[in-house]
Amino acid sequence: MTKRSLWRLTVTLLICGACAYFFIPLSQVRLGLDLKGGVHFELEVQGNEALEADLRDTRDRLQDRIREKGCPDAVLKVNQNQLTAVGIPPDQRPDVEKVLKAFYGYDVSWAQTGFTMVQTAAYQKSLKDDANKRALQIIENRINQFGVAEPEITATGSEGNRIVVELPGVGDAERERIKGLLTTPGRLEQRLVAKADPTQGRGFPTREKAMEFFKGKLPDNTELLPEPVSDRELREQGKDPAVHTQGQPEQIRAWVLVEEKVYVDGADINKADPSVDPSTDANQINYTLNKKGADDFATLSGIAADEQRLIAIVLDRKIVSTLSCREKIVGGSVRITGHFTKADTEDFALKLKSGAMRASMKFLEERAMGPSLGADSIHSGVRAALIGFLTIICFMVFYYKWSGVNAIVALTVNIIVMLGLMGSFHAVITLPGIAGFALTIGMAVDANILIFERIREELGNGKSVPGAIQTGFDKVFWTIVDSHVTQLFAAMLLFIFGTGPVKGFAVTLTVGVCASLFTSIYISRFVYDWILERHPGIKTLSI
Amino acid sequence: MKVFEHLPHIDFMKYKGIALAVSWGIILLCFLWIHPWKGANSHVKLGMQFTGGIDMMVAFKGDVHQDDLRAALYKGGVQDAGVVYYKDKPGTSMFSIKVKARKGQDEKDSTIQIKQITDALKGMDAVAASDHRMDLNTESVNTMEDHWVQTNPLGLPAGDETALRLAYGPWITKVAKAREQYTPMTSYDQLPQDLPPQLRASLEKNYRLGNLSILKIESFSPSISGEWTWRTLQAVFWAMGAILVYVIFRFTVSFSVGGIVALIHDILMALGLFVFFGFEFSVPVVASFLILMGYSMADTIVVFDRIRENSHKPEYRRVDIVKLVNDSINQTLSRTILTSLSVLFVAFCLLVWGGHALRDLSFPIFVGVITGTYSSIFIAAPVVVYWDHWFGGHDKIKQHAHARS
Repeated sequence: MTKRSLWRLTVTLLICGACAYFFIPLSQVRLGLDLKGGVHFELEVQGNEALEADLRDTRDRLQDRIREKGCPDAVLKVNQNQLTAVGIPPDQRPDVEKVLKAFYGYDVSWAQTGFTMVQTAAYQKSLKDDANKRALQIIENRINQFGVAEPEITATGSEGNRIVVELPGVGDAERERIKGLLTTPGRLEQRLVAKADPTQGRGFPTREKAMEFFKGKLPDNTELLPEPVSDRELREQGKDPAVHTQGQPEQIRAWVLVEEKVYVDGADINKADPSVDPSTDANQINYTLNKKGADDFATLSGIAADEQRLIAIVLDRKIVSTLSCREKIVGGSVRITGHFTKADTEDFALKLKSGAMRASMKFLEERAMGPSLGADSIHSGVRAALIGFLTIICFMVFYYKWSGVNAIVALTVNIIVMLGLMGSFHAVITLPGIAGFALTIGMAVDANILIFERIREELGNGKSVPGAIQTGFDKVFWTIVDSHVTQLFAAMLLFIFGTGPVKGFAVTLTVGVCASLFTSIYISRFVYDWILERHPGIKTLSI
Repeated sequence: MKVFEHLPHIDFMKYKGIALAVSWGIILLCFLWIHPWKGANSHVKLGMQFTGGIDMMVAFKGDVHQDDLRAALYKGGVQDAGVVYYKDKPGTSMFSIKVKARKGQDEKDSTIQIKQITDALKGMDAVAASDHRMDLNTESVNTMEDHWVQTNPLGLPAGDETALRLAYGPWITKVAKAREQYTPMTSYDQLPQDLPPQLRASLEKNYRLGNLSILKIESFSPSISGEWTWRTLQAVFWAMGAILVYVIFRFTVSFSVGGIVALIHDILMALGLFVFFGFEFSVPVVASFLILMGYSMADTIVVFDRIRENSHKPEYRRVDIVKLVNDSINQTLSRTILTSLSVLFVAFCLLVWGGHALRDLSFPIFVGVITGTYSSIFIAAPVVVYWDHWFGGHDKIKQHAHARS
């Protein structure tokens, strides 16, 4: 064996070895959800809600500060995407301006007795980005705590506001519960039931009734929030909650008028745990607040105790529970008892622990697949690919005799390289991916056919065997490169624009095109050269 | 063995006018039949990813007629469902159920609709009316676990709910795995073999075996659907652009135009036949159209390459372009046919044995390989000839080829 052949053999074996190394730990190759079964969600973070939340938050903080500065009549309102303030006397303006300096990210325009604040574009972007990041983090937390094996959670979309959650092996049963965990922001707020509420916290039966009572306009800085009927109550009424709540709008027990101001929110929660009250057997949630939260809660309970008002615990803009206080509560340890089921308290505690999202989620896509469908698909897909592969092998040997065997060697190396590359990319095998695999094998053979036909032609022109092989490979080289490049374009664009199963398809194709380029030009040539070396005076070529 | 014993001498360019007329005629006819401009009333079938909606796959034990299923859905309040029957395994009937989303529909509506559909399907079980036990094939895993925790069939020390859940949880998972495997379970013998007898007895006593199994639920929001269409079109146009530029760079403008015309011809032909045979567009199908583009161009390049190579040869120096193109096609004819055959084998196997999921995807490739071969000869090459007649002297291509080589 000459030095050159030895060198080529080493390269080939090294590449095959490396590919085998990457592929053989079969755990590297993951099956896509379409084959393995599982759920796939695509969610969109509703960034505008984060902007609104920030406006409301700014209003609460600003209102206090401005009133402290000596403008007791100042009223701040959130009006769509701007914050308007009225009731500021012109002589107080410099003081207020000083206060406003601390609130960066806003454009302020002054009027006679007030001002209007609008979020700047850069600030809006940072708020949205923050909401996206938080949402991603929180979803990761919640899914991890829920305990799903190998979850895949990725941020996508041009603005990064899309989140794709893929949970392999999750069945239809857990789907609804996980969906609930993903969509609800988990924003806990502790507020006061409004002074103007005439029902002492029992609420109005419908929203219309409430609006009627207030003659179509709610008192300033208050809002109506619904209090839903819980599963437990339904059960107590002798109804099956699974039948009554699934897929239907929640039943609302009452609409309660509460203050807009949030005294304590979920961000100040340290710890949350579900528990059971030993004396009454009721499910409850305990949580502890940090220093700031504890102070705020002390203030809140103080007001509630002094003014004989109720505290409303609001989760995701729905009232979970209302409580009365006999005295100011210090220490920041809170227990909520309501009409909860055990699963309710578990999910509730989980949401509180994982933190609150700034914005809610919208479901764009939801897919749930059972594993049996995938197993069937694998079965028929692989069968079809194998039949195709065998047909090609038979055809090549039948048509090109020993040269056909050369093509099969190239094809085998091709498959090893493809599997190896896919293993090293941690590529996900999807159903279209299997089809792509079969098709690239068909296309890889094309390159060999082009070469062999050319060699035949050169032999027909009266060239010697080594000469024919030499010119055959040389002349076909650019044809093969050109045709592979155009296919590569298509594969790459699929990769850029596709998602999920299509991406798997694109990866297989890209890898297949590259592998085929290598094997047809390098491996087939090497096999021929080696044979020529062994039989120097060869007169005929089996082609 | 050879395709042709002697080099063929077919005057392909003689038929260029007829070929152009016939194949564009077919495309036009397909287009008229499809009438895509009528929007929703056209013959184009779009998958739920493009329109937004629900796409479900269910399996029934025994023979269930498509019309019965439709009637049940209609009664259950789902009026506009598309139902397709698949015969896959003996003894089960598989259906795909598709419901298009209405405008402005949100996630809550689709949850309600899914519930409506599953209820309607469950209602089709005749046994359900007389047998009020829970259905082992569709009951949610949580409910099943709750049931065992409450009844405690193994007689474990009661009181600690968490411990009970830990004990029964793994068995429930096993049962769920089994029912997912059999879709649907038809006999209690299909329960896991190592299931303790008490649990098996509990299941047999409290559950009946329903005839329904839900294999797949997909729901797409209408707001994302427009985006999919746009992304798809973008991918196709960028791919075409990239190929166009590459061919201009490697060959000349006339080749590039010829190649793109052939490409468009192949896509339109495959599109027309795809719709004509009643296939439905899904995202993987679009992917296969992109593959078709790559393949069609690769095939054309084999012919173009030979035209370029021949144009350098002294014997073609003073020859008419028609002869140059004709000879080149004849010389490459055997390999054009062979390379197409190899891919055609694979596409054919996928089409026939690949199962219904791969059928939609391999059809465009199957058609595309055939038209791709045809168009390289009868569409791409004639365009080069026409281009040369209209825009250049007889030696235009040769000059370009010289400049490039």
